[in-house]
Amino acid sequence: MGQHPRLRELKFTLHRIFRNPAAIIGFTLLFFFTAVAIFAPQIAPPKYAHNPYIMPHKGYSPTPKPPSKASIFGTTSGQYDIFYGAVWGTRTAFKIGLFVVGIATIVGIALGAISGYYGGIIDEILMRITDIIWAIPTVVLAMAIVVAFGRGLDKIMIALALIEWRWYVRVLRSEILTLRDQDFVHAARLMGVSDLKIILRHILPNAIYPVLILASMDMGSMVIIAAFMSFVGLGAPPGYADWGQMVALARNYIVGPPDYPFKFWYTIVVPGGCIVLFVLAWNLIGDALRDAFDPRLRRR
Amino acid sequence: MLAYIIRRFLLLIVVLFGVSVLLFGILMTFSPERRAATYVTSPQQAKDIPKIIRQFGLDDPFYAQYFRWIKEVAKGNMGWSLVSARPVSEAFWTYLPVTIEMNLFAAPIVIFFGIWLGTLAGINRDTWIDHSTRIMAIVGWSLPTFLFALVMLMVFYGYFNLFSPGILSDQLAMFIYDNPDRFHRYTKLYTVDGILNGRLDVTLDAMAHLVLPVMTYIIVVVALNMRVMRSGMIEELSKDYVITALAKGADKRTIHIKHARRNALLPVITVAGQMVAYSMEGSVAVEVVFNRQGIGWWLAESAIQLDMPVLMCICLFMGVVFVVTNLTLDILYAYIDPRIRLT
Amino acid sequence: METLLETKDLVTNFYTYEGVVKALNRVSMVVDHGTTFGLVGESGCGKSVTVRSVMRIVQEPGLIENGKVIVYLDEEDKRAGIDLLQQSEAYMEKLRGDQISMIFQEPNAALNPTLSIGDQVSESFLFHQKREMCTKIVDDLTAPGCRTFYPLRRLEETIYRAAAKTPDAFLLKIFDRMPLLSRWQKRLKKEAKKRTVEIVRKLGIPNPEQVVDQFPHNLSGGMKQRIVIAIALACSPVLLIADEATSNLDVTIQAQILDLLRKLKNEAISSILLITHDLGVVAEICDRVGIMYAGNLCEVADVREIFHNPLHPYTRALLDAVPKLSAKGVLKSIEGNVPNLVDPPPGCRFHPRCPHTMDICRKKPPKMMKTGNNHLTACFLIGGGEE
Repeated sequence: MGQHPRLRELKFTLHRIFRNPAAIIGFTLLFFFTAVAIFAPQIAPPKYAHNPYIMPHKGYSPTPKPPSKASIFGTTSGQYDIFYGAVWGTRTAFKIGLFVVGIATIVGIALGAISGYYGGIIDEILMRITDIIWAIPTVVLAMAIVVAFGRGLDKIMIALALIEWRWYVRVLRSEILTLRDQDFVHAARLMGVSDLKIILRHILPNAIYPVLILASMDMGSMVIIAAFMSFVGLGAPPGYADWGQMVALARNYIVGPPDYPFKFWYTIVVPGGCIVLFVLAWNLIGDALRDAFDPRLRRR
Repeated sequence: MLAYIIRRFLLLIVVLFGVSVLLFGILMTFSPERRAATYVTSPQQAKDIPKIIRQFGLDDPFYAQYFRWIKEVAKGNMGWSLVSARPVSEAFWTYLPVTIEMNLFAAPIVIFFGIWLGTLAGINRDTWIDHSTRIMAIVGWSLPTFLFALVMLMVFYGYFNLFSPGILSDQLAMFIYDNPDRFHRYTKLYTVDGILNGRLDVTLDAMAHLVLPVMTYIIVVVALNMRVMRSGMIEELSKDYVITALAKGADKRTIHIKHARRNALLPVITVAGQMVAYSMEGSVAVEVVFNRQGIGWWLAESAIQLDMPVLMCICLFMGVVFVVTNLTLDILYAYIDPRIRLT
Repeated sequence: METLLETKDLVTNFYTYEGVVKALNRVSMVVDHGTTFGLVGESGCGKSVTVRSVMRIVQEPGLIENGKVIVYLDEEDKRAGIDLLQQSEAYMEKLRGDQISMIFQEPNAALNPTLSIGDQVSESFLFHQKREMCTKIVDDLTAPGCRTFYPLRRLEETIYRAAAKTPDAFLLKIFDRMPLLSRWQKRLKKEAKKRTVEIVRKLGIPNPEQVVDQFPHNLSGGMKQRIVIAIALACSPVLLIADEATSNLDVTIQAQILDLLRKLKNEAISSILLITHDLGVVAEICDRVGIMYAGNLCEVADVREIFHNPLHPYTRALLDAVPKLSAKGVLKSIEGNVPNLVDPPPGCRFHPRCPHTMDICRKKPPKMMKTGNNHLTACFLIGGGEE
């Protein structure tokens, strides 16, 4: 009974998260991917020291080669080593996710907090601007921006960051709107606490939960969208260690010769599997977080 | 109620205006020289770029160019598409029916399965039904549409040899193309046209080619639908009026369907606008993989070939669809929820 | 007075993360026909859990572990007692709303916001009075003044005759679910609506015909509570359970509702089981009072007895704590806190706060003993009597 209440709540929340077997699987997968990303130079030593993301290739033959001793997962069309691509692709995926979600979260929280807390004309203007950006689906708008700014993975990341913050503004704003009228906020204001402090110390810690859930799911979604853009040819150039790019290379070989249609299964299963497992990890974590933070489900 | 509709409609105009400005702003990030290059059709004309810039006013101030552009758009002239070698508006009407056809078949499936599975999961929380639908939803949400489409193609077309990509099998496509007088394209939707022309084989063939695409791209939307429905049901079932109904002697079915689900559908309507957006994204992936020449396919092709007018047109189109859908949904919501009707 | 409801050693537990909450600790209570029984206690002492166990609508993660809940619905026939805990869910569904009704604390949340008032009140009639309504409709259809088209009338007559005989027929249920065929219910629903207007009018709501088409958010709190009572009384139940029904209302509205309940008791209901923490309400309207503490029933007596001659130390402390205009000095309160029911004190659950604790109070829980005229107390000090 003598434990600090915050510690007790934290323990209870952790218990609720890990009570869910999905969370355990998600965190395990995430741990595995993080390890691969961190130890990439050791697992798959880069051929070009100046840019480890360029995949090594022996020759230019368009036909993929099956897994062998030389290349564990085989090679893609153009003889890029799939294993190398899968390992360094993990780093690319983390780069994309963290960059986009990081910027989107910061911008979204800042704008959402201002809009939700102060209301009035600021709120109206910000909401109309958000509405305008909201009107076009992510992929479509990203394509338009990429065409304007040029191809490349970095351009895609910037484009997505410019688009994704719209979700965070909405989510945070709606949470703040409910919290803003609660008694503890009124009390803090009456005591003379400055607005910034109220937002940071009182409102945000309560409003942050849906943002965390959204951020977790977004880590996965951004990787999917970036992969699709690379697949279409707007993203990473061929030979770059990006899972989506590797699937693009596999496109002409998904259906093999009539007698053995699955001949080139490794060209699509390996990079595709990496994408799916990575996104699945983040989605499982997000789902477990959603269940753990749901106030209705808490005390069961 | 009427005032509410008028207010939302005015807002719609404002938002559409903003969208057009945004898109035009993206277009203007090209330098005048680059934009002039789209008018150039031969190396000879490349020398005349400054003249082209002056002729088309490509370095006029922003608002002047914007108004010129909007005037053209309002007249229906969206420019020339390099990819299709046709005016953009003409190409647009060729590609639109293909996408509409796919969405027409997908929408009822999405609505039915999403609501049914979501209700089931919400009612039987923490049982095997709930867990299995949750897993299905999470896996569905984690699958990139384009990847799933590729795998489906690999399995069903590569291995089983069913369901080839494309919109129609080659012979029927050629037949339709060669005989415009014997096969009238009333609605441009192959399934409907097949029935109207008395050629059921066309209808069946088109539907066979629709199976894989529809199956693939509804997964994401059904997953979202199910999740919202489920959380809506759980929320409603914990409310007090459910206990009142219980104390009245209502049976479980009445409570779930008549009382709880009706209230749980409201948040689903709210999220339906997003589902439309996801459908549009999904159709891009599916059309690219299955080689169906619809809006999505056109978007991808134009993006690769840097065909800006097409991108502007499609973005504007999607913006209009989204905003109009949201307006309709808002009105629907206000109609169904009696609490809002008076506002 | 004949017994209406008797609970024997009722035990209900809640299985939560923090542990097993032993909410009801062998509660044995008796309510007679024609009385108003007041169940009094602090927040969290188990009053709501008791009545919800009786109605079997205990929410998860609660479970009724043990005991009996016997109702004698027929005042005349003393041998026809039915143990509700042994009955099927279908039986309970028939019982709830028809023989035993319950009204709740928060009228604003008790009504479905997207269904009209009339719809919600009619539901009571449609659930329980289908047979009577169908018979009445058949009578209306065969009456000489009926002006419906003849073949249609014959068809409806056949359907309603069959419905009157077996209102829960499978075929009728299927008809209900199909879009066109469910139209056979039109007359039924109209009849239910007629009865709805009547009962709404009876509860003192002006313009019942208009109110019936309105929605809950159009009404004030007091009106909503009246509608909730209307729903409960629609089928003239034998017992009405009111779970803190007036706690969330203004004092003036509270007085109106209590007046209403008193009036209706003479006309429509036989008995009321009123849950409250307000001793003033108890004094106003109850005939018999039961005091609960931490999942135990401490004392039961007629209302005058309880106020003039409280025996259990908890009851006495409770009555002492009520501020009186004539008294002077410091307000009296009860020392200590309500116990944590995951780990309740052994023996008598009140013993840590009792000024007269004895050794035995720490070891064994006291039994309810007769300590006077219709007066029962569970205390070793007063009633004596060891287990």
